[in-house]
Amino acid sequence: MKSRVCMGWLQRRPVYQDQVLKELHVEDRSSILGSMDNDEASTSGSNLEIHSGFRNTLHSSVYGFTQQNLPACKPVLTPGWVITMFLSVGFICIPIGVAALLASQSVVEIVDRYDTECIPEVFRDNKVAYIKDDSISKNCTRILKVPSYMKAPIYVYYQLDSFYQNHRRYVKSRSDRQLLYGLKYTDTASCKPEETGNGLPIVPCGLVAWSLFNDTYNFVHESVELKVNRKNIAWKSDREHKFGKDVYPFNFQNGSLIGGAKLDPQIPLSEQEDLMVWMRTAALPSFRKLYGVIEIDLDADEILTVFLSNNYNTYSFGGKKRLVLSTKSWLGGKNNFLAVACLAVGSSCIFMALLFVLLHVRNPRTFGDPTYLTLDRKSNFA
Amino acid sequence: MSGGGGRWERVRDRVRSSSSSMRGDRQTRTVRLGRVQPQAPGHRTIFCNDREANLPVKFKGNSISTTKYNLLTFLPKGLFEQFRRVANLYFLMISILSTTPISPVHPITNVVPLSLVLFVSLVKEAFEDWKRLLNDRVINSSPIDVLQDQKWESIPWKKLQVGDIIKVKQDGFFPADLLFLASSNPDGVCYIETANLDGETNLKIRKALERTWDYLLPEKAAEFKGEIQCEQPNNSLYTFTGNLIIGKQTLPISPNQILLRGCSLRNTEYIVGAVIFTGHETKVMMNAMNVPSKRSTLERKLDKLILMLFGVLFVMCFIGAIGSGVFINRKHYYLGLNDRVEDQFNPNNRFVVAILTMFTLITLYSTIIPISLYVSIEMIKFIQSTQFINKDLNMYHRESNTPALARTSNLNEELGQVEYIFSDKTGTLTRNLMEFFKCSIAGEVYGHGITEIESGGAQRSGLRIDETKKSSTAVHEKGFNFDDARLMRGAWRNEHDPDACKEFFRCLAICHTVLPEGDESPEKITYQAASPDEAALVVAAKNFGFFFYRRTPTMIMVRESHVEKIGKIQDVSYEILNVLEFNSTRKRQSVICRYPNGRLVLYCKGADTVIYERLAYGNDTIKNVSRGHLEQFGSAGLRTLCLAYRDLNSELYESWNEKFIQAKSTLRDREKKMDEVAELIETDLILIGCTAIEDKLQEGVPSCIETLSRAGIKIWVLTGDKMETAINIAYACSLINNSMKQFVISSETDEIREVESRGDTVETARFMKESVKKELKRCIQEAEHSMHTLSGNKLALIIDGKCLMYALDPQLRVTLLNLSLNCHAVVCCRVSPLQKAQVTSLVKNGARKITLSIGDGANDVSMIQAAHVGVGISGLEGMQAVMASDFAIAQFRFLTDLLLVHGRWSYIRICKVVTYFFYKNLTFTLTQFWFTFQTGFSGQRFYDDWFQSLYNVIFTALPVIIVGLFDKDVSASLSKRYPQLYKEGIKNMFFKWRVLAVWAVFSVYQSLIFFYFTTAASRNSKNASGKLFGLWDVSTMAFTCVVVTVNLRLLMTCNVITRWHHISVIGSILAWFIFIFLYSGIMTPYDRQENIYFVIYVLMSTFFFYLTLLLVPVVALLGDVIYQGLQRWFAPYDYQIIQELHRHEPEQRSRPDLLEIGTAMTVDEERTFAISQLPRETSKHTGFAFDSPGYESFFASLHGVNVPQRAWDVARRASMRSRQPRTSIR
Repeated sequence: MKSRVCMGWLQRRPVYQDQVLKELHVEDRSSILGSMDNDEASTSGSNLEIHSGFRNTLHSSVYGFTQQNLPACKPVLTPGWVITMFLSVGFICIPIGVAALLASQSVVEIVDRYDTECIPEVFRDNKVAYIKDDSISKNCTRILKVPSYMKAPIYVYYQLDSFYQNHRRYVKSRSDRQLLYGLKYTDTASCKPEETGNGLPIVPCGLVAWSLFNDTYNFVHESVELKVNRKNIAWKSDREHKFGKDVYPFNFQNGSLIGGAKLDPQIPLSEQEDLMVWMRTAALPSFRKLYGVIEIDLDADEILTVFLSNNYNTYSFGGKKRLVLSTKSWLGGKNNFLAVACLAVGSSCIFMALLFVLLHVRNPRTFGDPTYLTLDRKSNFA
Repeated sequence: MSGGGGRWERVRDRVRSSSSSMRGDRQTRTVRLGRVQPQAPGHRTIFCNDREANLPVKFKGNSISTTKYNLLTFLPKGLFEQFRRVANLYFLMISILSTTPISPVHPITNVVPLSLVLFVSLVKEAFEDWKRLLNDRVINSSPIDVLQDQKWESIPWKKLQVGDIIKVKQDGFFPADLLFLASSNPDGVCYIETANLDGETNLKIRKALERTWDYLLPEKAAEFKGEIQCEQPNNSLYTFTGNLIIGKQTLPISPNQILLRGCSLRNTEYIVGAVIFTGHETKVMMNAMNVPSKRSTLERKLDKLILMLFGVLFVMCFIGAIGSGVFINRKHYYLGLNDRVEDQFNPNNRFVVAILTMFTLITLYSTIIPISLYVSIEMIKFIQSTQFINKDLNMYHRESNTPALARTSNLNEELGQVEYIFSDKTGTLTRNLMEFFKCSIAGEVYGHGITEIESGGAQRSGLRIDETKKSSTAVHEKGFNFDDARLMRGAWRNEHDPDACKEFFRCLAICHTVLPEGDESPEKITYQAASPDEAALVVAAKNFGFFFYRRTPTMIMVRESHVEKIGKIQDVSYEILNVLEFNSTRKRQSVICRYPNGRLVLYCKGADTVIYERLAYGNDTIKNVSRGHLEQFGSAGLRTLCLAYRDLNSELYESWNEKFIQAKSTLRDREKKMDEVAELIETDLILIGCTAIEDKLQEGVPSCIETLSRAGIKIWVLTGDKMETAINIAYACSLINNSMKQFVISSETDEIREVESRGDTVETARFMKESVKKELKRCIQEAEHSMHTLSGNKLALIIDGKCLMYALDPQLRVTLLNLSLNCHAVVCCRVSPLQKAQVTSLVKNGARKITLSIGDGANDVSMIQAAHVGVGISGLEGMQAVMASDFAIAQFRFLTDLLLVHGRWSYIRICKVVTYFFYKNLTFTLTQFWFTFQTGFSGQRFYDDWFQSLYNVIFTALPVIIVGLFDKDVSASLSKRYPQLYKEGIKNMFFKWRVLAVWAVFSVYQSLIFFYFTTAASRNSKNASGKLFGLWDVSTMAFTCVVVTVNLRLLMTCNVITRWHHISVIGSILAWFIFIFLYSGIMTPYDRQENIYFVIYVLMSTFFFYLTLLLVPVVALLGDVIYQGLQRWFAPYDYQIIQELHRHEPEQRSRPDLLEIGTAMTVDEERTFAISQLPRETSKHTGFAFDSPGYESFFASLHGVNVPQRAWDVARRASMRSRQPRTSIR
C-alpha cells in the first residue's frame, strides 16, 4: 500500500529525484522518498499540503535517522544538575544507611574462637598430631555469656578462616548429578580425586563432601540442654532440587584418609542438611555456615555452656574456628558494612554537593562563556 | 537487454565494493602508482569463425565468476579470512586452551562469543558473495547472437568462445572484447558508451577496418576467415596492438577497432564482431583488482591498545602464577593434594604449577581482549557510511544529482582528524566549466570581460570595479561568455586583418576532436568533447559564424556565415586527412584538412611553449605582442591556447603520410613512433592568435576554505597550472591574503633562465639545486624570524614543479618539510601527478600528520591513493579519481560537511566506542582478578560460564553500537559554525593515552567496588531464616551490579540520549534479568554443575539484593560523576562550552539548506597590495588550457609504465559527466 502511494508520488516528481534514488542505491525506496519529501516540505514549505499525507511517523524517523536528526534530550552536566544529583543521592542514601545501621546494631552476636583453647595444653605445640589422633577425646567445654537479650530464633554458625572452599580444585570436585541421582549416575570424573574408594563409587563423591565439617555443639542453658534445631538450615531449593530423595550415602569416608564427617547411610541426601550447607561453597576463604537454630530467647548475662567435640582439622593449614550465635534483623545478620557504606556515600555526596556549591560561589564559572574556548587561543603554528 | 544497464552497473559496483571491503590486514603497504600492469610478452593467434582451429590453444571461457567462495571453499576460506584477525585467532587459541583440564572455564565461555562473532562476519560474507553469485548468473546467461551455419543463433554469454563471430544489437552490451568487423552504419562506424569502464557518458566512435565492412549479413560473415595476431590479455584499457590477417593481407588493428566488454552499443542498429578476449581475460575484468584498502590511524592506534591489553593480561597472569606457585601446599589437605595429584596442583613442583596456572589465568582473563570490538566497529562504520554519509542531503548536489559516496567505510573517523588537505585546482576548486572569454588575433585583443579573479584581486586592493555594461552583441551561453562587438555578427570583416580572423575561426571549427550530437541547428546542437576547453572553442567558432555541425570519419562540415559578405551562409565540407591527437608530451593537437578547393592546411593548437618552438621565422612583432597578451590572460586567471596553421603542398604531404601510415601499423612503440612522425610535419607554423578561457571557481569554495582553515586544517593547492593562475586562484579562494608573508620559490628567475639558455642540462640541474637550496635556507630563516617576532605574520609558500623536484631531494626534503609545515598555505604549481603524490607522502610520512587529498581527474589518482584519505570529486571529469578515492563528493564545499560534521562525529563516536569497550572489558576482567587473590590463586572463575560468554555479546553489546551511531556532541550546524571544534580531532583529544588512563583508573576503581562491596556486604546471614550465600550467589550479585553499572555508565558518556539509547540500555539490563530468570530456573539434562540453580530467586528474596543493587552502581558511578563534574568545571572541552552556549536552543528538526558559513571572524585584511604586485613579472609562461587534469596518465608515463593511449577515442574524457546524457554544450 505504502509503496504504491509513494510510486504515485514519484511520478509527479521531476525525473532527477528518481535518479537520485537510483544513485543512492536505496533498497527501501519509501524510506528515502519519505526523507526527501520531508526535506523539501520543511525547507520550502510550499509542498507541505500536498505531501503531508505521506509523512507518516516511519518516514520522519527514517529521515531523522539518515540525517542524524533523531529527537533526543541533551543532558548537560551543569553545576545545578551536579549539585542536585549529589544532594538527592545523599538524601536517599543516608536514611537507608541509618535504617540498615539500626538493623545491624539490633543484632546480638556472640563469637567464640575455640580452635586453640580446645586443645589441651600438652598438645598446643603439635596441634596437627592431636587432631589426627583418633584415640584422644576431642571434647571441649566453652562458657559463653549472653551480652544482651537475644530474641529467638538464635542462629548458631560455625566460622572457618583460611579455608579455601573456593579453590578451583575444590569447587569442581563434586558431582551435582550424582547428588541428585545417586549411583544411577556413574560419570563422576569431575569428583577427582575422591570419586572412588576401594574400587567402588562414593556417594556423595568429591572433595567438598569428603571434607564435610564435623565439629558438633551441644548447648546447656541453666543446666537444661538447649535444643538446637538442625532442620531447615539449607536453602529450600537445595533441599528440593539438588539432593536426591532416594539417594543414600554409599561407601562414604571409607578410605584410608578420612576428611571430615561421616554420613548416616540410612538417611537420604535430601535430608542431610549439614551436607547441603557445606556444599553450597563459600565465596571467600573466610566464611560462616549455619549449624542450627536455638528457638528460645536468651536473656542478658545468662551463661551458656557449650560442649563441643573439636574434630575438624583446621590446624594443618592454620585456620581458625569460631562458634557464632546471632540473632537476626530484617536485613539479616550483623553486618555493618552496607550500612556504613550507605552512610559514607550519602554523607560524602552531601559533602561534594556543599563543595560544589562553595566552588560555585567562590569561583563562579559562567556557563557557555566563549572565553573558555581553548583551541582558539592557541597559536596555530604546528 | 533492458535490464542490462542495471546489471553492468552492478558489476561496476561490485568491483568497487570488493576493493573497498574491509580487509585491512591483508593488503600490502605499497602505494600502487598506476593501474596498468606491464604487458606480458608473446602474442596470441586467433582463427576467426573456426572453433576447431582455436581448440589446441586453451582459451578461457566467457563465463565469469566474481565470487570469493564456492560451496566447498566457503567455510575454510571464510574462516581463514576471519582468523587473520589477531583477536579472532587469539580467541580461537583460548577456546582450544579452554577444552583442556587446566582451564577454569567451560569451553563455551570462549566459544560462544567467538562463534557469534564469526557467525555474524560469515553471514555478512556469505550474503555479499551470494549477491555476487546471482549477478554472475544473470550475466553469464544473458543471450547473445552468435554465427552458426550462416545463421545467428542465440546462446548464453558463457558459451561464447574466442574466435566466434557475434552480432550485438543497439543498446546491447558487448559480451567479450571484440574486434569490430562491420556495422549497420554505412561507413563502418559505431558509437559506444563506456560508462561502465570509466564512468564517462559521452559517446565514442569506433571504426571498423574498411576491409571487413562487408561481413555484415550472416551469409557473408560466414565467409570471413581471418586470423588475428594480437597481444596477450592485459588490463590496459586504452591500448591494443595486433594485426588482422585476411588472405595475404596484414592489416594493423588499433584500439579504434576494439569493442570492450562492459561497453554498450549506441546509435547503431547492430554490429558484427569477432571475439578476441573472453571472460576473465577481458580488459575490464583484468582491471577489477583490489585497490589496497587503507586503515585509519585510529585503528592502528587501536592495535597498540590491544597490544597493551595483552601486556596487562600478561602481568595479571604473571602475578597470579607466582601466587599460585607460592600458595600451593600440602597443608591444604582438603584440596586432596596427595601423591597422585595432577601437575597443575602438585606442590612438589611449584614451577610447573605456576606455568600451568599462567595458562589457566589466560583463559580466565581472556575477556580483557574485547572480541566483539572489531565487529561492532565495522557495523557502526558501515552504517555510518551507507546511511549517514551517502544519504546526507547536505552533501547531495541537486544540479548534478550526485549524493556523496563513501566507497570505503574504513576511514570514517579519519575524516575527523585531517590536518592537511591537498587539493587539485581544476575541477576541484574551479568548476572546470570553461567559457571562451577573450582572444587575441593577429596581435589584437578581443573581449572586454573582467574575470572573477581580477575583480576579486581588485577588491582586495581597494579598487572598485564597476560592472561594465554588456554590449548588445554580448553572448553568454554554456562555454561562451564573450563580449566584443568587433568580432560578433560578421563585424570581424572590418577588422584590420580579416584573413587572420578567418583562419582563427576555421582553426577553431576544424582542429578538434569534438562530436556533434542532436539537431544540426546552432541552437540545439550538443557537442561531445574530450575536454570542456575543446567544446568551448567549438562553441566559440559557432558564435563567430563558423558552425561545425557534422562529422563523418573523413569529413567535417562547417556552416560558414559572413565570410564572403555579411548575411551569406554556405556549407563547407573539409576533408580530414589526419588527426594528430593531443597527449601530454605533445601538448598540442593538429588536424590536416583539405579545403573543397584543394588547399591543404595543417591547423594546430596547443600550449604556448610548444607552439612558439615550432613557428616559422619572421613576424616577430605579432609573436611578441601575442606573448604579451598570453601573459595578460594568464594573470587574469585565464587558460590560454595558441593557434597556428601551415599550408602544405601535396608532395610534402604524400611523402609524410606514407611515414605516418607506416608508423601507425607498427606493433611496438607505436605511440612513440607516431609522435616522432607528427613532429616532422608540425613545423614552420604561422601563428594566428591565442584564446583565453575562463575557469570559474566552484560555488562556495572561498567560504569552505575559510571554514576549514579555521578548523585548523591547512590546505595545500597542488596544480599543473602555472604560477600566476595558481596564485590568483589561491587569492580568490582566500587561501592566501595580503597579510601573509609569501615565499616564492620559482624556477623562472633570470639567473636560472640564463643558465638554461646555455643548454647544458647537467649544469642547469646543479645550478637549480643550489639555488633551490639557497632559497629554502633563506625562507626558513625568515620564517623562523617572523615566528619569533610578535606580529607573527602567517606564512605562505609558493613553489613550482621544477624547484619542487630538487626540493624533494632527500637532502633538502627535511628543510622543505620544516618550511612548509610552518606555512599556512602552500601552493605548488606546474607539478606532475607524481610530485603531487610525493608531496602528499612527504607530509604523511615525514610529518606524521593526517592528510587528505581531493581531486577530480586522473592526474590526481596517485595523490588520492597516497594520502590517508582520498576524496574524489564526482563532477565533470571522468571517474578515475572517484574510482581511486575513498569518498566521493560532488562539490568541494561539501568537504565542510564531510569533515566537520561526519568526520568529527565519526571520530568522536568511534573513540567513545573504543574507550568504552576498553573500560567495560577491563572492569569485568578485573573483578575476576580480585577474586583470584581470594582463591589461593587457583584460577577459579568468579562468574558462571554463560555469564562470561554472554557479557560481551548480549548484555553490553547493543547500547555501545547505538552510541556509535547516534552520539553527537553538538548539532551539525553548530559543528560548522564553530569549526575550531574540529581541532579536538586533529589533536586526537579523545583517544590519547591520558584519556585511556582515566578510563582505566575508573575501571580499577569500579571493579574494586564491584568485588569488595558485594563480597563484604554478603558476609553473614542474609535472609529471614539465617541462611548464607554461597559463591554463586555472590557472583551473580556482583555480575548484576556490573551489567547495570556498565550500561548506566554508557549513558553518562552520551551527549544526546534518544529513545534508542533508552531502549538499548534498558533492554540490555532486562536481557540479563530475563536470562538469569530462565537460566537459574531450569535444569538441563547435560552435565552441568547446577551452581546457578535458583540463585536469582534466592537473591531476590532478600533485602540485601535490592540494597546492594542500589548502592553499588551509585558508589561505582560516583567517581565518574565527580570527575566529569570537575572536568567540566575546571577544564571544559570546547564542545562542552558550545553545548552550554546553545543548550536552550531546540534541536532543529530539519536542517535547512546549507548554512552559509559566516565570515564574521576573519581578520581585517590589509588591502595594501594590488593584484599587479603579484610576482607575475618574473614569469614568461602563460596559462595553458589543456593543462587540465586527466588528459592522460602523465604519471604512468613518468614511471615508464605503458602509457594508456587515448588516441582511439575521439572524445575520451567526459566533458559533461552529467547524469542526463544529452545536456552538453548547446
